[in-house]
This record gives sequence, C-alpha cells and structure tokens, in this order.
Amino acid sequence: MTKSQEIIGELRNVSQTFSQPGGRELKVLENISLEVRSHDITALLGPSGCGKSTLLRIFTGLIAPTSGAVVVHGQPLHGLNPAVSMVFQSFALYPWLTVAENVAMGLNGRTTDAEKRQELVVRAVDRVGLEGFEEAYPKELSGGMKQRVGIARALVAQPELLCMDEPFSGLDVLTAENLRVEVVELWRDATTDPNSVLLVTHNIQEAVFMATRIVVLGANPGQIRMVLDNPLPYPRDYHDPQFIAVADRIHDILTNALIPDEPVVVPATAAPRAGPRYEPLPNVHLGEMTGLLERVEQAGGTADIFDLAVEVGKEFGRVLSLVKMAELLDFVDSPKHTVVLTAPGRQFLDAKVNERKRVLNRQLRTLHLFQQLIELLQAQETGALDEDVVLEELAVWLPGLRPQSLFKTIVRWGRYAELLGYNADQRQVYLDRESTSTTTP
Amino acid sequence: MSLWRPHIKLVRLFSAVDLLILAGVAAVLFALIDVGEEWTGVLRPVAEIDLRPAALPRYVMLTLARGFAAYGLSLIFTLLYGYIAAYNRRAEKVMVPLLDILQSIPVLGFLPGLVLALVAIFPQSNIGLELACVLMIFTGQVWNMTFSFYHSLRAIPPELRDAARVYRLTWWQRFTQLELPYATGGLVWNSMMSMAGGWFFLTVCEAFVLGDKDFRLPGIGSYMSVAIHDGNVPAMAAGVAAMVVMIAAVDQLVWRPIVAWSQKFKIEETEAAEQPSSWLLKLLQKSRVLRWVDTKVWTPMMGWGAPPPVAVRLPPARSGVALPVVGWAVAGLCVAGVAWGAVQLIALLLTVPGESWWRVGGLTGLTFLRVLAAVVLATLWTVPVGVAIGLNPRLSRVLQPVIQIMASFPAPMVYPLVLFALHAAGIGLNFGSVALLMLGTQWYILFNVIAGAMAIPQDLHEAAAMYRLSRWERWRRLILPGIFPHVVTGWVTATGGAWNASIVAEYVHYGKEALTATGLGATISLATDRGDYPMLAASVLAMCVAVVGINRLVWRRLYRLAEDNFALTT
Repeated sequence: MTKSQEIIGELRNVSQTFSQPGGRELKVLENISLEVRSHDITALLGPSGCGKSTLLRIFTGLIAPTSGAVVVHGQPLHGLNPAVSMVFQSFALYPWLTVAENVAMGLNGRTTDAEKRQELVVRAVDRVGLEGFEEAYPKELSGGMKQRVGIARALVAQPELLCMDEPFSGLDVLTAENLRVEVVELWRDATTDPNSVLLVTHNIQEAVFMATRIVVLGANPGQIRMVLDNPLPYPRDYHDPQFIAVADRIHDILTNALIPDEPVVVPATAAPRAGPRYEPLPNVHLGEMTGLLERVEQAGGTADIFDLAVEVGKEFGRVLSLVKMAELLDFVDSPKHTVVLTAPGRQFLDAKVNERKRVLNRQLRTLHLFQQLIELLQAQETGALDEDVVLEELAVWLPGLRPQSLFKTIVRWGRYAELLGYNADQRQVYLDRESTSTTTP
Repeated sequence: MSLWRPHIKLVRLFSAVDLLILAGVAAVLFALIDVGEEWTGVLRPVAEIDLRPAALPRYVMLTLARGFAAYGLSLIFTLLYGYIAAYNRRAEKVMVPLLDILQSIPVLGFLPGLVLALVAIFPQSNIGLELACVLMIFTGQVWNMTFSFYHSLRAIPPELRDAARVYRLTWWQRFTQLELPYATGGLVWNSMMSMAGGWFFLTVCEAFVLGDKDFRLPGIGSYMSVAIHDGNVPAMAAGVAAMVVMIAAVDQLVWRPIVAWSQKFKIEETEAAEQPSSWLLKLLQKSRVLRWVDTKVWTPMMGWGAPPPVAVRLPPARSGVALPVVGWAVAGLCVAGVAWGAVQLIALLLTVPGESWWRVGGLTGLTFLRVLAAVVLATLWTVPVGVAIGLNPRLSRVLQPVIQIMASFPAPMVYPLVLFALHAAGIGLNFGSVALLMLGTQWYILFNVIAGAMAIPQDLHEAAAMYRLSRWERWRRLILPGIFPHVVTGWVTATGGAWNASIVAEYVHYGKEALTATGLGATISLATDRGDYPMLAASVLAMCVAVVGINRLVWRRLYRLAEDNFALTT
C-alpha cells in the first residue's frame, strides 16, 4: 500500500452459507478478510463456483454475510454500500427505458435538480462514447454498447468505487478487449471518479492486464489463496515477459489449488475419515475431455494448461476440470501447470470407440465413488436403485457438492463406459448388463 | 404580431388527432353520466327492453360499462393480491393455493347469494343489481390475471432486481419502473382472455330468474334473452350483429393499441422482425396533447422526475410488504369473513338429506361425461384444423383475428340457433348440451393448437422431409408430440370453462319453454330458479370438488408429463 492510498472498505472474517432445497447447507465462502483501497484496480480472480460474485455482492451490501462484517470507511455497513455502484455481467439494463433514462437511473436519490441531472447524464454518456444513442432502447444496441450503457449508469453518480461483476464475459473477444482498455483509461484519469475499481473475473489475462492487485480465490468453499500486487506500468502488453511472469505465477497458484501435485488434501468441510476418499467428479463430458487429450497428444504428449485454455477458447476453470477428470482416470499427470499424457491415456486415445469404452469402464472401476455405488447396486435384488436413494448417499459421501449435479455426472460417465444405466421415466439407476456378472476389483 | 401568438400556440397544441381525442373523451364522459344515472336510478328489477334496433347502441354501451367496471376491479385486485402473494412468504403459502381453488369455482353458482345480498344492501337503487352483475363478471375474469401477475413478479431476473437496489429505487419507482413493466406482457394477454370470458358471464347475468323474482338489467344480454323469449328473429340477428361489432370495436380501439404499445416492455435481446401494430396507436402517438400529458404528468408520476434527495432504506428483496398493521388487519378481516362464510355454508349443507348427496354425486358424474365428451369432440376437430392453420403463416395471419372474435363471442347468445338445429335433428338436450358446451370451449383448444403448431421449429419439419417420414409418421413423431404441451394447456382452460358453461347449457330457455338435461349444471340452475339454497350449495360444492380434483389428479400430471417429455427445448 502506497502512502496516498486509503482503505475504502474491508471484509472481516466473512463467511456465507446458502441453504439448499432439502434443508442442506452449502458453504460458498469461508472466512474471507480483504481490504479494498483507493487508487487500485482490485481483481477477484477464481474459477466459476468460487463465490467471487457473492463476495462482490456482500461488499456492495446486496447480500448480508452469514457471519463476519463489512466495514466501509471505518463504519460497519448496514444496507447498501454508499460508496459504490455496480456493473453487471448481463448488463441489467431496463429494456423499456432509453439509454439516457437507464443512465439517469444511476442518479436516483442523488439529485433532484433536472438541469443538473441532464448535465451529468450527458457527461456520462459522453465518457463512454455513446453520444447520439441517448434515445435508443437497449435492444437496438450490440452487447458492447449495452455494457457501455451499464458503465455510464454506474459512473454517472461519480462513485468512489466501481464494482464490476464479470463485465466483459458476455461480450465477444474483440469488444471485450476494447472495453478493458477503456475502463483502465477511465480509472487512470485522476480528475474524475471512480478512483478505485473492484473487478470480478475468471480470466487470468484480464486480471493481469487491468488490475493493480489480484486476489486469487479457491473453490469449495471459496477462500483466498493469495493476494499479489501487480505493479506493471500501463499500458500493459500481453507479450511483455514481465506480464507473462505474473500470469505464470497465478497459473501456479491456481493449479496447485485445483489439481494439487500431492495427494488430495481433505478440505476443511469434510470430516476427516479413515479409508479411501470419494472423488469429487468434475461436471464434464467425455467428448470434451477426449478432445483435450487429443490436443495434448498433438502437442507431443505434454502441454501447458493455460496455453491449452487460450488455444481452445475455454475458461481456464473449465480446462482445469477437464484435466482433473483425466487425472482421476489416470489418463494424464499434471506436474505444476503442465499436462502429461500417461500410458493408459495413450492407450485410450489409440483405441477404437468400443475399446475406448472398455478402457473407460476399467478406469472408472478404480474410483472409490464408483466402487461404492456398484457395491450398493449389487446389494439390491433388482440391481437397481431409486435416484432419490442415491442422492441421499451422495450428499453424505461428498457433502461439499450439489448431489443432483454430481448424480448427473455419474450417470453420464457410467453410461459412456456401459457401467451404469439410468431410466429417466422410473428415475432409477441400474447396473449395465455386463457389469452385473463381474465383481469390482 | 401580438395577435398571432395565441393562434400559433393553439395550432401547436392541437392537431386533428387531438380533436378526435377530445371528441372521444367527451363521448366517454357522456356515456359515464348516462351509466351513472342508470345505476343510481330507482330500483327496477325488471327493465323494459326495447327491441327496436335503434335502442341497441345504448344497450351495448351499458353492457360495455359493466364489462369495463368489472375489468377495472379485476386489475386492482390483481395488483394487490399478486403483489402481496409474491412478496410476503407467509401470505404466499395461503394465497397461491387459495387462488387455485377460487379459479375452479363455478361463478354462476354464486349469483343468487350475491344478488340477494346486494339488493338487500341497496333496496332503493339499481346499484345493488348492477354491482352484483359486475362482481359476477369480476369473479369470472380475475384469477388468471392474478396468476399471471404473480408469476411475472417471481420471474423478474435477479440482476434487474440487484440494479434496482444498487441504484436505490424507491418502492414506487421499483413498482412502476421494474415490476409493472416486467409484468405487462403477461397481464395484457390475460386481460384480453379475461375480457373475452367476461362477455360470456355478462350476457348470462344481465337476465336471470331467482325463485319467484325476475331480474333484468338493460343491456345487450337481456335484449337477446327477450328477443329469444319473443321469438323475434330480426331482433336476434340485430343482437348478434351488435355483439360482434362491440367485440371487434373493443379489439381495435382498446386491445390492439395496448398490445402494440406493450411491445416495448418485452424482454428480448434483439428486435423481433414482425411487430404487432395498431393504426389507433400510431394516430394517438401524433397527438400533441397526449405528448404533453406524457412528459408533464405521466413521467413525473411514474417516479423519475423528483426522487427523494436522500438514499432511502429499501426492504430486502423478498420480505414482508411494508404496512404490517394494515396488512394484518386486512388478513384478519379476510380470515374472519371466510370463517363466518364457512360456518354459514356448513349449516346450510347440514340441511341437505343423505340421499340428495348421492343424487348430486351421480349428476356430477353425468356432467363430467358431458364435459369430457365436449373436450374430446373439440380436440378431434381443432387438432387437424389448428395444425393446418398454424403451419400456414398466411392462413394464420388471416384467420387469427376471426377466431379471436369467435372465441370472444358469448356462446349463450347463439344457443337458440343450435337448439333449433338439434330440435330439427331430433336430438334432446341430454346429448345436445354437449354441443352447447363445445360452442364456448373449443376455441381455447384451437388457439393453443395453432400456437403449438407455429412453435415447432422449421428444422424438425425439414428433418422429417429428409428422412421421408410418411404423413402418419410425421404426425406421430413430430406434430402430435410438438403440440402436446399446448394442447394440455388448452384442455385445462376448456374443461374449466365447460364446467361453468354446463350451468347454462343443461338448462336452457328455448322460446317459451325451458329445456332441461339431467346433470349437475341443470341442478344448479333449477335450484337457483326455485330458491332451493341447500341444494344449490351442495351442487356448487360438488362442482368445486370435481374441478379441483380433476385439476390435481389429471391436469397436473399431464402438465408434468408434457414438460418432462415433450418440451421443445433442450
């Protein structure tokens, strides 16, 4: 923190739990303490499901934390945070209001003077380059223009802190790039507010390109992995070695959090238990994972996860999930943030469709999760179980995950491998014919 | 020069359109005064009906006034009930199931109680009778509007709500800028449906017999019933024509402009290619007076003009509605009223002897069979016709307005014509009433079949052509599953309507004689005629139980099946 910086607001030991249908509790954030300072662009960076949007909403006062406190300028926050305004991922423009009326919404409750309002709206519209579009309705605008309206609406009341919830993720690559540069310019203009930006993103490049401080979050439940300063001078260049170095550091932190090199550490939520652990199956598809493995093979059997993510145009969190699945199946190994194809992985890739199913079947049977499920099914006379029964078990086995989504993933992979069948009409899982004759290894 | 100025100002302020608007406002005011005089006039239970065609416009106007009064009432009720149900979790648990039951209740069964009560309250003036009529229509049109508003409120995207909170919209601003606009689309559509259904009840309620008392309000419904009673064929034709003109005029002058205007509240990412338009709306948008009203009166009233200078503390997104004291008082009154009504009802029902209950059960079964037959027959013809219309864009553009008017036309007005045909064919009312039931309810199914057929994606048709599906295969694999969810929606509405219609379709005045079919509807009508209130209560209760029971046991399951297996989304 430089001398001229002051603390605008902070979170103190904030945790957030949401109750799910069925009375179960899902912990989204755990024990987060964070300062937001003036003259910073602070990026909250993490994969989807790490609670970063929830964190932002707690800071704005839209959500009250389950425990912990939000402090703004030394005062505990009750209700909305007066220092902030917000830009939304889906723009959240009111379709029945014109551009000018949407922007004027940002002045609501601030000034009653019609002329003053008019002047401020014109200035805000001008700052985001939307002159001439004042009378247009949002549906007449492109995505990028819509987000400009969203930004103008947030800027019009000259907030001290601008909160942005994945503001560019709904836009195409070029438009997003253009807006990133402009938001940095708006922030760097010292004569006007906002003097600080709090940005939620899942895009590492975006965080390194824009932010002065990067808060890296881990998932299940969301927690701060590391906070690092990013003092690179503006304008920044994606190809600058220093830029790449910062990005690489974040890569290391994130991969280590999501696919650790050491055996999986039991997360704090699961009670420490003897014996093998149930594997939290990532919610991915076979086709996606196979496609990724093929990429790795083409790259000579080893590739950088983050290069892969850029290459295939997917969120890195998604790519990490794919790698995690492949690693659970023993198809790859992932030292640091590289992926290395293993012998079973090569065997899988070289096989024909039906042979692939056999390999998959064999590998899935090595997972504790599937072993337990098969054992349960074999104990039934009919070899079948009601979905609800399995959901109950899953909730006990892996309390940190949503049972419904885990169930779908299990069924999907079980079907690929001809290990499990599922009848949607009767809502029953059953053992595939071939599986009933053999016993689990 | 000074002489010119006011003149120029006048020209600027008024245009030809404005003169038209002024004329329209004057006409409405004049009509309101006339209606006011009629309503507050000395009680005259049986209005003399003048069968000359020249008298028709005034009858149409009086009928319209009742229809719109009922609609206004429905709208107010909808906004209040829907809002509280959507925001007060505790109230929601009671209010939503209650709404479900209320909408299943046969409205016509309540006519006698309502009329007697209101005439007793206003013994000296017509207003009691008029109110009874308006309330009847209200109970026929309000429920689907309320459901629509409630569902819209619950479906507002969370980010739009977050934006309202971040930008500190007051309660009133949130209501006028977010909630009302978001609900407008559904509300407008349901309002149209409700008004159409309203005419049905209106024509029945304007003239009815209660025990030894005869009630008749001046209006197009009683005009028609007198014409039928007298066997005056030209007057009947004039009545039907006036009704058609009225429905078409309301469509053109009221609903069309509103539908075209409400397009701006549609949530869509990009502009649709074809927008509904209205010549009247285009005309009105040229008006200077209206523009002035819009900027100087409407906009400030809607909340943007002068917001409170200090940030207002907003209630959290979903908690109690402000006004706890008033709310509790109203809730308490409602509970007390319902409890009192229940006690009265039970006392009345206890006087019904056991064997009567058995008879009511049997009659319910008979009417159920008729309702079923009407829906099945209606489905048999509407599915092929509706699919043919829906798959042909040109045909659907031409026919949809026509079908809309046919659907809005109150079926009881043409019952005599159908009865004449049935009589000629030698069919009695026991089977003939099925045709009468169909007359009112088939349109709901037709509408939905057309909508369903239009919603089947072109890709799927192309795939069917590619793989050379035979005509039968195409129906079995594509069209029938594709329209199924829509057909279920149509069935639900149609059966609800058919139960209600059975009250007038199983007991019909044809010329000087009254025809009766054996069934629950006729029982309700006869009990009304004779003033046999215990029997009336018992048969209305039986109908409620039947409607709610079928909703729960059949429709809900079919809905789920349709959603799970035949929804055209992936």
